[in-house]
Amino acid sequence: MSDEGIDEGSRRDGATELLPPHVSADFYLWLWWKSEEENGKFAIDDGRGGVEVYIDDRIALRSTGEERPSAVLTGESPATTPEARAAVAGGKVPRDIRLYVRRDDRDYHVTLRGTRVSIAQAKLPAQVKSGDVAEVLYDRMFLYEELHWIVACLLRAFAAVRVTAAWREDLVPRMARWATLDEARAGG
Amino acid sequence: MGILKGALSVRRYRVIGEVPEGFRDLWIDTLNSHQFREPQSSTHKGEVVGWAQAHNLLDTDFTDLNQWLYDRYAYFALRVDKKAVPAKLLRAHLQKRLEAWCKANNRPKAPAAVREELKETLEMELLQKCLPRVQTWEVLWNVNDGWAVFTNDAELPNERFQKLFLRTFGLRAVPWSPLDELTGTEGLAEAVAAAGTTDLRGRGA
Repeated sequence: MSDEGIDEGSRRDGATELLPPHVSADFYLWLWWKSEEENGKFAIDDGRGGVEVYIDDRIALRSTGEERPSAVLTGESPATTPEARAAVAGGKVPRDIRLYVRRDDRDYHVTLRGTRVSIAQAKLPAQVKSGDVAEVLYDRMFLYEELHWIVACLLRAFAAVRVTAAWREDLVPRMARWATLDEARAGG
Repeated sequence: MGILKGALSVRRYRVIGEVPEGFRDLWIDTLNSHQFREPQSSTHKGEVVGWAQAHNLLDTDFTDLNQWLYDRYAYFALRVDKKAVPAKLLRAHLQKRLEAWCKANNRPKAPAAVREELKETLEMELLQKCLPRVQTWEVLWNVNDGWAVFTNDAELPNERFQKLFLRTFGLRAVPWSPLDELTGTEGLAEAVAAAGTTDLRGRGA
């Protein structure tokens, strides 16, 4: 390896290179659907009752095969609007989603962005507002690590169900009914 | 906005390679040898890249460990300066110079060689008056656990970071997405990749 350049192995490694772009879209869609289906409750392997996850104030959708978002919905609970559901029912897929995440008494707001599921615009709980640099650094990095770990747990939970037959046979029809608002009509 | 305050947008890396014994003293030297240095000439046009303190981009000396090493965390910044003359301004000044040359030499048009020379002289003059565009992004490296974050997600700054990190420490920084966590369970990432696309169109009726 040249010390002037970076090789391909340094650019990408592991699952990021392996996984096609639709995996992140499926993950975001599953988060969105499940957060509404189960009132934000997500079980994770922490032995402490899991986390709460809701779609926050922004969701960007793209057409399949496109990189750029073709619809960006913002405001209060944009994910619950008929427009958002209609876009999904019409074949658009989530590209970026902003989440509200709560674990114990800690509230996070974070955008999961693009096919790499990048953590962006993460608003961490204000545990230490001021103090010496070291104190703030340790505290914020603990919180960042927890957020990264929660996202990884959610991804693993998604992957575990994504590879089962239940995804196609049970979850996809339920998500499709949810997207076309059939569930709402059936319920009321 | 970044590591110490505000919203956090980062690209995460795994740091591949052995951290040497006595790395603290070693890295004082290696960071200092790759520190940001002002160019010798005020007419330098290219990019200048180097490490600076995260607390103040003018502080580029790493001799005091307490300024950049906090227990297991190394905390510093990538600084990239670039000087460039605004193209429109250069064109406008050049037009004036060419007009003056044509008048002084009683010629309708300046030859290409004259035009080139005037342009070069003018660019040097204007570069001396220009301030560089200065960009910094923070780096936080958890030395014990072998990961780092860089506070920008765009490709070009990340490539610069990876190159300078490798040159400085002899260690590779490899992008690490939350997706990479799937590789912890054998075969899971491959199975997800093979599972195909989900399409809800026409399924809701």
